[in-house]
Amino acid sequence: PSSPQPVQKPLFLCSPFVEAALVKGNFKTIVMQPKYTDIMEWVAVNIFDFYTNLNMFYGVLAECCTAHSCPSMSAGVALNYTWINQDRKNVQLPAPTYVDYVMTWIQNLLDDDNTFPTKSGKDFTPTFPSTVKHVYRQLLRVFAHLYYAHYTQILHLRSEPHFNSLFAHFLAFGTEYELLDIKDIKGQPNVPVAVGALWERWKEMGILEN
Amino acid sequence: STSSAKSADYVYFDRTTAGFSDDAVPRAKTAQLKLEHFYKVAVDAAIERNTRRVELERKLAADPTMSDDRKQRQLQQLGKRESAFLRLRRTKLGLDDFRTVKVIGKGAFGEVRVVQKTDTGKIYAMKTLKKEEMLKKDQLAHVRAERDVLAESNSPWVVQLYYSFQDPAYLYLIMEFLPGGDLMTMLIKYDTFSEDVTRFYIAECVLAIEAVHKLGFIHRDIKPDNILIDKDGHIKLSDFGLSTGFHKQHDSSYYQRLLESATGVQSPTTAARNSVMVNAIHLTMTNKDQIATWKANRRKLAYSTVGTPDYIAPEIFQQKGYGNECDWWSLGAITFECLVGYPPFCSESTQDTYQKILRWNDYLMFPDDVHLSREAEDLIRRLLTSQERRMKVDQIRHHPFFYGVNWNAIRQIEAPFIPRLRSITDTSYFPTDELEHVPEEPAGADNSGTNKDLAFLGYTFKRFTLSSHAF
Ligand SMILES: Nc1ncnc2c1ncn2[C@@H]1O[C@H](COP(=O)(O)OP(=O)(O)OP(=O)(O)O)[C@@H](O)[C@H]1O
Repeated sequence: PSSPQPVQKPLFLCSPFVEAALVKGNFKTIVMQPKYTDIMEWVAVNIFDFYTNLNMFYGVLAECCTAHSCPSMSAGVALNYTWINQDRKNVQLPAPTYVDYVMTWIQNLLDDDNTFPTKSGKDFTPTFPSTVKHVYRQLLRVFAHLYYAHYTQILHLRSEPHFNSLFAHFLAFGTEYELLDIKDIKGQPNVPVAVGALWERWKEMGILEN
Repeated sequence: STSSAKSADYVYFDRTTAGFSDDAVPRAKTAQLKLEHFYKVAVDAAIERNTRRVELERKLAADPTMSDDRKQRQLQQLGKRESAFLRLRRTKLGLDDFRTVKVIGKGAFGEVRVVQKTDTGKIYAMKTLKKEEMLKKDQLAHVRAERDVLAESNSPWVVQLYYSFQDPAYLYLIMEFLPGGDLMTMLIKYDTFSEDVTRFYIAECVLAIEAVHKLGFIHRDIKPDNILIDKDGHIKLSDFGLSTGFHKQHDSSYYQRLLESATGVQSPTTAARNSVMVNAIHLTMTNKDQIATWKANRRKLAYSTVGTPDYIAPEIFQQKGYGNECDWWSLGAITFECLVGYPPFCSESTQDTYQKILRWNDYLMFPDDVHLSREAEDLIRRLLTSQERRMKVDQIRHHPFFYGVNWNAIRQIEAPFIPRLRSITDTSYFPTDELEHVPEEPAGADNSGTNKDLAFLGYTFKRFTLSSHAF
């Protein structure tokens, strides 16, 4: 307790918020693949749910996430995500534009029966796992931005137990099915993702498995 | 230790919603509720899935005759069904996925249609319910109840609900289609049944009502319109707490007001009638004209938002409490109607009917020109009686009227009327010609207005069913 704190800790790492949760305990029961089921279906429905739930929370916070407040898709002190445009160039976008691109892209994938089949008899294609990894990385970025830039607003709206559980569930699911790269969660040593520390913290606390 | 770490980190944060728009707080609340609901359902679903698997594994393990190969195949089959169910969760069903074959019924809040799911070709009954009307009549809780009963039950006596969805204006229930029509339509067609035929239907109703009670529900609105006939001629109950007009069923003051009001609620045809005629003399008439009027208006009454109180137990109208015995009263009234041709307290106006039911002791009369067996009359008298004296289910099953009924196998025996169906979409057992002012296709929402749907939270429902009939 005597060690000095050089920079102020982000609020999401502080008590009581770091332990605020809607879902108590760990996520094993709802992450585990149900025996005998198709793993593609299991992953697909979970992606669908993460997208839907995150989109719903982003919808609440959207009024706080403007080109003015968030000129870039920030997720750490030195971290701004870039979007790869049609010319395969990395471009900086205001966070709301970035999020809109992400969400629109995912929605289109979910609605596309070739990528996320729903018709009876139609199967997943072999590229599904790699598509899903892309989706996961972009959803992670949206979470990372909301934690980094909008956590106080989440607190004002008393949504931190909900948001924490959604994110912890997302992380638990992503690590279980290797949809997440560790480096995407933690960032580069010199350019850390702010929320990477939360991931570490939740592992210490047993909310996430080690 | 954690507690010292906790206190070192502990921060106080002053929460305020000052910087937000007016919508932000309610929207945040909605999102929170939806997420809570989501996790509750997710956990329940995981548990149920697990139970299904463990049960099958146990069943297979206990079967020494089956080959391992076949056991493995059965488990794979379960996996396929579970996977299909997971896919169903991602599948957005909407009006577009169904094609109307025919409108077959009408209720207070919308219509019932035979529909075909376009990709699989399967046939269902779709009930539409206008949200606005239901909110006005405080029917939400009832709809929830109906949905839950239909959804949770695996009972052969209850109409299966497969799927429900909504748009801003309507709720849609996708149910199994029972092609045989309903008992009301049958009674209109045949007038009366023989005692043998009556015994069959009423015995099946006894089991159906018992099944609903075992699910922990009181139907409260059992009437011939809600007794549906399946393709083999056996019955199933529909319509839990959704019945027309009986909004606020537990609010007895509602009935009190009705009874006290001078104008009363009258059936559509008698609305213009002079209220002076509502008097004792009129009430004592059980003449042929009155019965004829009742019959002529039977279906109109079923479609109206007033509904028919003919089968409702007296305690429901009174300031008394009531339990599931009220459903046995309704069964008594239906038995009477099957044998006599009209319900025991039928009148030209619903208000008169209320009064007769309250004074059932004075008004229950068996007409001279219809012959009833002693057993039949006794059964009716022991059902149309005070709560305390009314028979319970075990007494009913043992009543001499049901002598010879095989209670365990009645659903397996041949029914007295088996619908003759030319196709899976045959609607000849429904009075489709009599349905007026009903749009062929459901209107659907105009999609204006944002999601002010909090009251309908959790309405979207997808049933897991082990039957091959599901999507
Ligand atoms: N699953 C079904 N299969 C076949 N017919 C049905 C089905 N559900 C309802 N019907 C028909 O539609 C009619 C009206 O349905 P229902 O009784 O459920 O509507 P409602 O809106 O509750 O109206 P009410 O309370 O007046 O009966 C029924 O009497 C029956 O003829």
